[in-house]
Amino acid sequence: MWDSILSALPLLFSPAVLLAMAGGTTIGVLIGALPGLSATMGIAVLIPLTFTMDPLVALGMMAGIYNGAMYGGAIPAILLRIPGTPAGIATVFDGHPMAKKGQGLEAMKIALTSSAIGGSVSALALLFLSPPLAAMALKFGPVEVFWLAIFGLAAISVLLSDAPIKGLISACLGLVIGMVGIDSMTGNERFTFNVMDLMGGIDILVLLTGLYAIPPALTLAQEAMLLSRNSIGSGGRTRSGIGWRRLVPTWCRASVIGVIVGIIPGTGGNIAAMLSWNEARRVAKDKSRFGKGAPEGVAAAECANNADNAASLIPALTLGIPGSSVSAVILGGLLVHGMLPGPDLFTRSAPVTYGFILAMLVTSIMLFVIGRLGARLFINVMYMPPLLLAPIIIALTTIGVYAINNSLFDVWLMLAFGVMGWGMERLKIPLAPAVLAVILGPVAESNLRRAMLIGRHEVSYLFSSTIAIVMVTIIVLTVLVPVIRRLLTHYRGRPSKLAMASDPERARQRFEP
Amino acid sequence: MKPGMKTRTVAIAAIMLMPLSAMADYPERAVQMIIGYSAGGGTDIAARTLAPYIEKELGTDITVINRPGAGGEVGFTALANAEPDGYTIGFINTPNVLTIPIERDTRYELSDFQPVASVVDDPDGFNVGPDSEFASLEDLVAYAKEHPGEITYGTTGVGSDDHLAALALERLAGIEMTHVPFPGAADVRQALMGGHIEMGIFNIGEAAADVKAGRIKMLAQAASQRSKELPDVPTTAEAGYELTIGSNRGIAVPAGVPDAIVQKLSSAIEAAMNNEEFQKAAAQQSLPLDYQDPTTYQQTLQDLQARFQTLWDESPWSQ
Repeated sequence: MWDSILSALPLLFSPAVLLAMAGGTTIGVLIGALPGLSATMGIAVLIPLTFTMDPLVALGMMAGIYNGAMYGGAIPAILLRIPGTPAGIATVFDGHPMAKKGQGLEAMKIALTSSAIGGSVSALALLFLSPPLAAMALKFGPVEVFWLAIFGLAAISVLLSDAPIKGLISACLGLVIGMVGIDSMTGNERFTFNVMDLMGGIDILVLLTGLYAIPPALTLAQEAMLLSRNSIGSGGRTRSGIGWRRLVPTWCRASVIGVIVGIIPGTGGNIAAMLSWNEARRVAKDKSRFGKGAPEGVAAAECANNADNAASLIPALTLGIPGSSVSAVILGGLLVHGMLPGPDLFTRSAPVTYGFILAMLVTSIMLFVIGRLGARLFINVMYMPPLLLAPIIIALTTIGVYAINNSLFDVWLMLAFGVMGWGMERLKIPLAPAVLAVILGPVAESNLRRAMLIGRHEVSYLFSSTIAIVMVTIIVLTVLVPVIRRLLTHYRGRPSKLAMASDPERARQRFEP
Repeated sequence: MKPGMKTRTVAIAAIMLMPLSAMADYPERAVQMIIGYSAGGGTDIAARTLAPYIEKELGTDITVINRPGAGGEVGFTALANAEPDGYTIGFINTPNVLTIPIERDTRYELSDFQPVASVVDDPDGFNVGPDSEFASLEDLVAYAKEHPGEITYGTTGVGSDDHLAALALERLAGIEMTHVPFPGAADVRQALMGGHIEMGIFNIGEAAADVKAGRIKMLAQAASQRSKELPDVPTTAEAGYELTIGSNRGIAVPAGVPDAIVQKLSSAIEAAMNNEEFQKAAAQQSLPLDYQDPTTYQQTLQDLQARFQTLWDESPWSQ
């Protein structure tokens, strides 16, 4: 293997490939930063342009776009509380409060460093641990993926603490929206009202962009300023400095979560970021800081969604089974360049395969440099006159959403979700539970029904594997421990400080929707 | 001459002359190619690989436009309702293009299309895991007869060619199995390799590499003759069941396009498909090429539609 890595290095460090990687990373950051545009689309559009290119030039560019876009989504999430990609939702929770506190630049630096670390760990996992991890990916059948989705849904409950009823309304709304379209198990149409454009379901990007990007634009236009000029990070030296060393444990946990979620087919960076953020909050001593601008929150979310990247390519490269929609498109790109997935890929086309894997690593590092240069540019967005910024956001999101499916229907749908999101904000109904329910609801539902078919409607089939039992145990513990603790405290009649802090009901966190 | 007669005569003359003038110089501008599936998917990559070679033959640009949604229906509808001037062409995929109008009310029918050329024809395969106890389709059928409903099979969805293949086998062999739909062929393959389902049905193009590497075992291919890729796998007919089914991708235009343009397009596509470079690219993507001229292709589609309609009338596959 070392031979293959060494033989790939000269190819990788040729000027054309280096340029392609740097260009790809820059394009990726921009694509990620623009709401509505995603890495999947960027790479898909690129593939036909690469037909005539040298394989490694094309693949290096794709690697750059992939890694760049996952970080890019954090920029508007932090500065404007608009997640640029679905994986950026969890970054909003703590990133935007940090910007509001005047730590916008710090938040972007944390996001960038965490992304680069997550991406590198993931690429190293792809390089050294592919065979065992691919074997693990196969163990995840409908039962296991169902429990993973339930775990994610349980994490939503944390977001409900401030106003449980309003949060539940939001989550239920998301579950209903997730049901729209042709039911994949029976072929029945659900909530489609005979509208052809609704039959394939509602694209998560349309919903996300509508709910998250339009309301801030409206608010911007409505108020003179979203954030006052002085309140943003000065752009100069930070006074307190960022406690990098304190973030190391968060990075470790987030990388592992990202890699594991990455290799499981059908789950992506959004779930990884959410679970990682939740885990960072769970282990924190003072949970009340989360959602109010905790640096660990930003680090956990951004590290995990980049750690998902190369990991989702593990089953794709070794077995031809993509772990996410982006890796499916990259798989297409590999096929176009004559690389058939499978174990042979690592022997027959070794230089190009290892070159591509190393490109995932190198672009993670390049991202650090490019992002650092870009951060100072991007922060200027905050200094733009809101009357200029609001129409720019609306124009860019409209173009982005139209480009997903070349569909004007999607644009109207996005605007409708925008109005809905604006209304929800006015009523102080949080948006995040709705979006997460749209992502996780269909995953949980279809896998439960698939599992029931395979298990011949025996409920015991849901507990038939070790992974399933382990996951059920974790879910039960996550949900019950705070309740038991509170009951114990209540019984003893003296609330301890620890119990207060760990109790989501009383911690009274406020979440920016 | 009655009032209005003159205008009518002129209009009729114009209509009669229009195709002639259009035909003489076709193509004068860029041609749009509608794909009913997302960018980066199998049909999209195949189309984008082929398009430059057709461009060379036609001497004009081809713009690929993705109109995904509703299992291809959005794109099919856009193609069927486009101007029949030869400047909008598009891919139609079986069985979806045929089964969607059978399953629900649509704004297009098969007769709204003028088939131009079949490009890819990928038969279905009945696949099991490498350690499966079944060595042949006969074994599997024998087991299913004794244990109705016990065999679980994965497909790419209700009404997909994979699903229809299983329904046809159930009917011919008089067996009953349990259907487990998945979102895509890769998911079925994962469930099969992980041992979560007993059988996975997907196309030869999607299975060939894994079969050759021994990661899955193909019991039978639902083709009229053995594929060049997998000469050791018996056809369904050899296993005792007359059943050929697969997924066909071809190019069509809206009905009403002048015949000369259809012929010109069809021969351009044929020439593009015979290009050695394209054949190499197609082999890399495991695309089983199958060119059919407009008449043959139309016949193929009509025969298939009649078969699916019969199957639906007997046992509808979705409620």
